[in-house]
Amino acid sequence: MKKILFFIFILLNITNTVFAASENNSNILNIYAWSGEIPDFTIQQFEKETGIKVNFETYDSNEVLYTKLKADKNPEYDIIEPSSYYVDRMRRQNMLEKLDRNLLPDFKNISSDFLYKSYDPESSYSIPYVWGLTGIFINRHLPEYKTTHDWNDLWQHAFRDKLLMLDDSREVFSMALKSLGYSANDDNPDHIRNAYEKLRALSPNIRLFKSEGVIGVLADGDIDVGMAWNGDVYKAQVENKNLDFVFPKSGFVIWVDNFAIPKNAPHLKNAYRFLNFMLRATVARDACLDNGYPSANMAARQLLPVSIRNNPIAYPNKTILSHGEFQTDINDDALALYEKYWEKLKMGE
Amino acid sequence: MKNEHSFKYFSLSVIWVWLLIFALVPFGLVTIASFLSHSDNHLVELPFNFNNYKQLGNAVYLKIFRESFYIAGGCTALCLLFGYPFAYLIARMQSRFRNLLVLLIIIPFWTSSLIRTYSMITLLKPRGLINSILMWLGVIHKPLSLLFTDTAVMIGLVYNLLPFMVLPLLTNIERLDDRLIDAARDLGANRFTTFRKIILPLTMPGILAGCLLVFLPAMTIFYIPDLLGGSKSILLGNLIQNQFLVAQNWPLGSAISIVFTVLLLILLLIYWRNMRDRLEGDLLT
Amino acid sequence: MKRLPFALYIAAVFIFFYLPIFVLIVYSFNNAQYSLLWHGFSTRWYHELFADHDLWVAVMHSLTLGVFAATSAMIIGSLAAISLYRYDFRGRQFLYGLIFILILSPDIVMGISLLILFSLVNVALGFWSLLLAHITFCIPFVVVTVYSRIVSFDEYIFEAAKDLGATDMIIFNRVILPLLWPALLASWLLSFTLSVDDVIISYFVAGPDFEILPLKIYSMVRTGVKPEINALCAVTFGITLTLVLISQLLLRKKQ
Repeated sequence: MKKILFFIFILLNITNTVFAASENNSNILNIYAWSGEIPDFTIQQFEKETGIKVNFETYDSNEVLYTKLKADKNPEYDIIEPSSYYVDRMRRQNMLEKLDRNLLPDFKNISSDFLYKSYDPESSYSIPYVWGLTGIFINRHLPEYKTTHDWNDLWQHAFRDKLLMLDDSREVFSMALKSLGYSANDDNPDHIRNAYEKLRALSPNIRLFKSEGVIGVLADGDIDVGMAWNGDVYKAQVENKNLDFVFPKSGFVIWVDNFAIPKNAPHLKNAYRFLNFMLRATVARDACLDNGYPSANMAARQLLPVSIRNNPIAYPNKTILSHGEFQTDINDDALALYEKYWEKLKMGE
Repeated sequence: MKNEHSFKYFSLSVIWVWLLIFALVPFGLVTIASFLSHSDNHLVELPFNFNNYKQLGNAVYLKIFRESFYIAGGCTALCLLFGYPFAYLIARMQSRFRNLLVLLIIIPFWTSSLIRTYSMITLLKPRGLINSILMWLGVIHKPLSLLFTDTAVMIGLVYNLLPFMVLPLLTNIERLDDRLIDAARDLGANRFTTFRKIILPLTMPGILAGCLLVFLPAMTIFYIPDLLGGSKSILLGNLIQNQFLVAQNWPLGSAISIVFTVLLLILLLIYWRNMRDRLEGDLLT
Repeated sequence: MKRLPFALYIAAVFIFFYLPIFVLIVYSFNNAQYSLLWHGFSTRWYHELFADHDLWVAVMHSLTLGVFAATSAMIIGSLAAISLYRYDFRGRQFLYGLIFILILSPDIVMGISLLILFSLVNVALGFWSLLLAHITFCIPFVVVTVYSRIVSFDEYIFEAAKDLGATDMIIFNRVILPLLWPALLASWLLSFTLSVDDVIISYFVAGPDFEILPLKIYSMVRTGVKPEINALCAVTFGITLTLVLISQLLLRKKQ
């Protein structure tokens, strides 16, 4: 008996030292980013160049990121990738580190189209990485293909139980608001309620809510029509020639995903090294070639092959973009209303 | 002679302490949490109230309970329907052959459930094998939209849980005394009567055990509806998971779990009662 | 040939069990990223699989966790089974009933209950929370396995040893252990498998620093992009097959 106890004691000690040792190794970087946006090879390249060990985790909604950060009593992430309106939110709630521009020499690579916006007026808390817009994807062989031009067309009876919707409350509501002629960032309770009622009418048409791994669904043709991000459709088109993307006439949402450092991040120095790495034109270009989303990095764009730079889905022209609306944060009361209605919608109410 | 009892005390205290800390206390915490409230800043907080349970009485939640019951119940019925003959045939086989077949059942059972579910996804896709075969045979002309539906969830559940029905039935049917069946035949009973009066009652424990082992997981394995189901395939497991990790409403999630545990205890009671009656019945005959 | 329909039925069910897995394995050799049509034979997904560093880290983590959890559960569980068999003590029925209920407990309830416990006591989610959780859900299986083996012992062995003056310790070392070790081994293997495969409980108590294989597979399946997963499935299936065959041979040898 004593021998066994002794053995267990030794075992525990060994385990403890092994794990304590790996924790004390400060050359780590904890990244928490949108799934599908930072390619594995980019992470590996960074690890190889710097010798920093990266712990890479992904999420498929801003809300998950936000709640996780709020719930964690000990800060654990060094790099996060909130969308613009969450940069706004987190900045105002003091959840982000202010970025020292002096430590980011390649910041100038970022296109001015995405800087100094209302969600980060001095662009001192976030670095735009990729952007995109949300529209309608549809299978060319569907009889309704020729007549689907706008959000309202999703409500038609022929699409019963056929739609793929993004699993994102703001996106889905913005879509409904736009279809009613309101702003995508509307905070008027009556408008929001109207949007909810309209979405309830859409419920029978909705087959699936999904934000992650949409490319696979699109490429395999598992679902024929719905809402999706232009980058996903652009990538899936390579494998699924039947796929097409429609820019809704009544307008759409433009989103920007940004790098940011949470307040009191444990490995600040390594975080800056990562930011500089991602700002590099070649790195940004390679990443965007893989994830299929348009890059916010001007220098990277110049390095892209012409065929992609001119692809109408990945890089739509200015006229089309003028129909788009950037996502901004909305006040807490309106947000609570969005969440309440979203819960009801998901539960089938 | 201190040694004599020290072993006993040591072993007992280890198991009691462990189960106390990691089984009883956590379960108590869930029960307590189900009576608490929550807010944006705190996952659980006072005051104590019955709100969570009252909320569960809403039509929405009742609908989800009902859906879960139907799907889990349907899955159990299908597993029983297909599993019973399968188990019966194998149990009555010759030892050597039977052991090989049992082995073949165990292998998928030991393979990761996630992987088996993933293989189901590939099969059910519009361009997957099932649709391709059906189209090739000319049975259908357009691919069936199987993926992301309740049907897919049902198929996935049956696929994963069938071994849980077959294995208990096998152990039970193996112990069936042939002489009873022979005696019934000698007394003039036909196949059907023999089944109804002899085989079915004797295998009832196996049936009940199998149903229990299928029905409960069918309601609570959340990754199968998550991967195979559509927006309407919300089962109890998904609901609980959602409340804990997305909606951050731990009290409500706890309340759902408690309701489900009560259900489990009721089913167990029925099973246990049945076992006891059965034993008494055996004694009488 | 009255037997034919029966044989066909059994064959049909087995096809149902194995077909999806075989399809997966076949497509793991398909030379195409997304398409489900055959594009020629290729082993590139296996190359990608073996080059996927993060995946192997998760595999190592899962194996390590499995070893520690299985060993601890085996020790605690067998002590419990032996005590339940040999000793009469207050609450004996309750303990046995509790263990029985733990086996039937849905994973999700156990997962959330442990999550609540850990968050209350401020235990960081990671290796330790996983280990404690895994040991907890393995213990009941060990108890049942070992207990069912002990019950088949000849009671008089213990009486005889006691009469000859052996203390509990000696009885344990010289009598119980040698007779029990097949059950101990079986329970260790069972716990190891349960631990390495656990999805639901781990889902709630895992942390970012310690990635384990089932959760990694789960996120890979949700993003569902590359046939690398097919290769992974084929490899895991092959390993399972081998392990089951080996364990069967071992058990066969014992008899």
